Amino acid sequence: MAVIGTSPPRVDARSKVTGQAIYPADLNFPGMIYGRAVRSPYAHARIVSIDTSAALEVPGVLCVLTARDIPGHNGQGVIYQDMPVLAGEEVRSVNDVVALVGATTPAAARAGAAKVKITYEELPALLDPLEAIKPGAPRVHPDRDNIIYHLPIRKGNVEAGFAAADVVVENTYRTQLLDHAFLQPEAAVARLDERGHLVIYVATQYVHWDRTEVARVLGWNQDRIRIVAPAVGGAFGGREDMTLQTLVALLAVHTRRPAKMVLTREESFLAHSKRHPMIMRYKTGATREGKLTALEVAIIGDSGAYASWAPNILRKAAIHATGPYVIPNVKIDAYAVYTNNPFTGAMRGFGATQPPLAYESQMDELAGRLGIHPFTIRWLNAFRQGDVTATGQVLESSVGLTATMLQAARAAGWSLAELIPGGMEDE
Amino acid sequence: MSKKRGTGMACIFYGTGYGNGFPDVSTATVEIHDDGTATVHSGAVDCGQGSSTILAQIAAEELGIPYEWVTVITADTDTTPDAGTTAATRQTYASGNAVKIACRQARDVLFEHTRTLLGVNTIAGLAAREGIIYVRGYPRKQISYSEAAARARLAGCRLVGQGTFVTHTTAVDPETGQGAPYWPYAFATQIAEVEVDTETGEVRVLKLIAAHDVGRAVNRLGVEGQIEGGIAQGLGMALLEKVHLQQGRIVNNSFSTYLIPTVLDMPEIQPLIIESNEPTGPYGAKGVGEPATIPTVPAIINAIYNAVGVRIRELPVTPEKILAALREKEGGKK
Repeated sequence: MAVIGTSPPRVDARSKVTGQAIYPADLNFPGMIYGRAVRSPYAHARIVSIDTSAALEVPGVLCVLTARDIPGHNGQGVIYQDMPVLAGEEVRSVNDVVALVGATTPAAARAGAAKVKITYEELPALLDPLEAIKPGAPRVHPDRDNIIYHLPIRKGNVEAGFAAADVVVENTYRTQLLDHAFLQPEAAVARLDERGHLVIYVATQYVHWDRTEVARVLGWNQDRIRIVAPAVGGAFGGREDMTLQTLVALLAVHTRRPAKMVLTREESFLAHSKRHPMIMRYKTGATREGKLTALEVAIIGDSGAYASWAPNILRKAAIHATGPYVIPNVKIDAYAVYTNNPFTGAMRGFGATQPPLAYESQMDELAGRLGIHPFTIRWLNAFRQGDVTATGQVLESSVGLTATMLQAARAAGWSLAELIPGGMEDE
Repeated sequence: MSKKRGTGMACIFYGTGYGNGFPDVSTATVEIHDDGTATVHSGAVDCGQGSSTILAQIAAEELGIPYEWVTVITADTDTTPDAGTTAATRQTYASGNAVKIACRQARDVLFEHTRTLLGVNTIAGLAAREGIIYVRGYPRKQISYSEAAARARLAGCRLVGQGTFVTHTTAVDPETGQGAPYWPYAFATQIAEVEVDTETGEVRVLKLIAAHDVGRAVNRLGVEGQIEGGIAQGLGMALLEKVHLQQGRIVNNSFSTYLIPTVLDMPEIQPLIIESNEPTGPYGAKGVGEPATIPTVPAIINAIYNAVGVRIRELPVTPEKILAALREKEGGKK
């Protein structure tokens, strides 16, 4: 191989190091206007009235858009379009954008946004996923159950598996709400080109999907919409949902002028998804030799007010809940739940990042109770080629787990002869 | 001594790709020019993780030209084909395969013309490496890529390829969860060494050994970069980061109150690349983007337990939680 396995300079290295790389915030067009979103201060409220008159009197303010100004469908989302672009009757989380100001300068846009008068009737908010999941809990979306998704995984017989165990550990683990903290806050520019096509420059993870979403909101044909991703300053899953794409599109189409939005770090935190906090109840059993016999898991993930990728993320959590181990008897239930918290979505690991806190803590606790080394209990149960996962999937090729264990243990200076039962290490 | 050290181990697996039978598709095109250089078109967004570099390397390898001869055009719906999301650790695998297929197609057109110039009866008898096309088993008989491309194009050949790759997955049964939801799976082991200050509750991560099965490292420095970045993000999740809510409102929406690791928080990192050679991957590659971050949290959690005998089950592990757990443990002893 001449090129594979080498480390040539990155194709974008020079432009980034010299500051020549063009990010969406670097783009400017003649006659460009600036957008500013007005976001809900409430987790749950009815919108009683929106008065834009004072905002429109601010010098430089060209428009204040609300739900009624959306020409196409007022909904967006990667699976369900359950998130309004501009909330019309109700806000379901503090993320929700209620009005959108377009002005000739960023300062005028800010001043205009401060003058948009929205009267809310605050409603009780569901902030605890354990409350939201209860039968009879008020619904976050009137037309949708609070349980967005439930995946059961069943293999073998867990009762028999726990009966066969010499030691059982049972614990509850919780992970937190996390931000992607990518380097470059959201930025987007939209303009109508010489053909009348809409061009959007945006830091995104998927230009073709953005086109689908923008076309739906505008009610336009997709061939007249062009999405371009210039340099992107990190994403980690936080750029998979619509944040500014549909907003700058509305501004450019409404005013027929190029429209730009650049978020501050503070607003960036409010605008994009977060990592699902998960509550994970784990019960794991093993024989005194250290072989796993049974696993019972319940995982509840808080999706916040909108689904985003919730079904796929809780599915991934469930499928990875065993850890990389052969367990003959498994009962897993994972739930994604709506609340009125800020919405959660994709973030590096996509639901498989939370369960390791639980399954790897359980492995160490079992090892401690059994008086065997953490390496040894993992070695005894680790996936190898041909093994079958909890979903019945045969791992047919490239199962390098034990190789990673051996190399890491050697680097740590551990004595494999003592840690591997029988002293075998030539895998 | 108030500072105690411990080590902790964590193993993970990670199913790459969209999974569960979802259409996981990437398309790419390539065109070889008169001078032997080539342009790849792919919708794949490079978010900074390095996919454009990976795609250029794969194109160079498959076409048999130097890396510097490849330009990769990405992420423009007017000009590039749909490559799917830059997510799910899938661009090296899915788009890498698409680019490889496209390049093989374009190269075969070139080889078909070139074989007549070299008196070879089948394109299976030709190979290319770093801008030279040569006869297998008789490499002295060769032609430069630029001459071969120019002559083929002058003869009316158009050296264009298009590749579409679909990652195989099967939906799981909604009642039992049974099925083959992802492919391929990546694996990793990390071992953390930490130092816990039992007076202040502060945890310092001193070292992380990170062994990752990536199938095949297309770009070794890129893999190491992903591992280092993944550990930084994992360390933040383990010890520092949390979005605080009050009545559903985010209260710490700035980097003065939402703390992410700085260079001063970073441990020594020893990346170890394991190449298990996935047969469905481009040159055996799987991916490393997400797996890089996943084992870090439990490795640190287990190292803390090993150091001071307390197990924190709720993230992040703040000094307050360590101190409270230590007090509880001491109380339990008395």
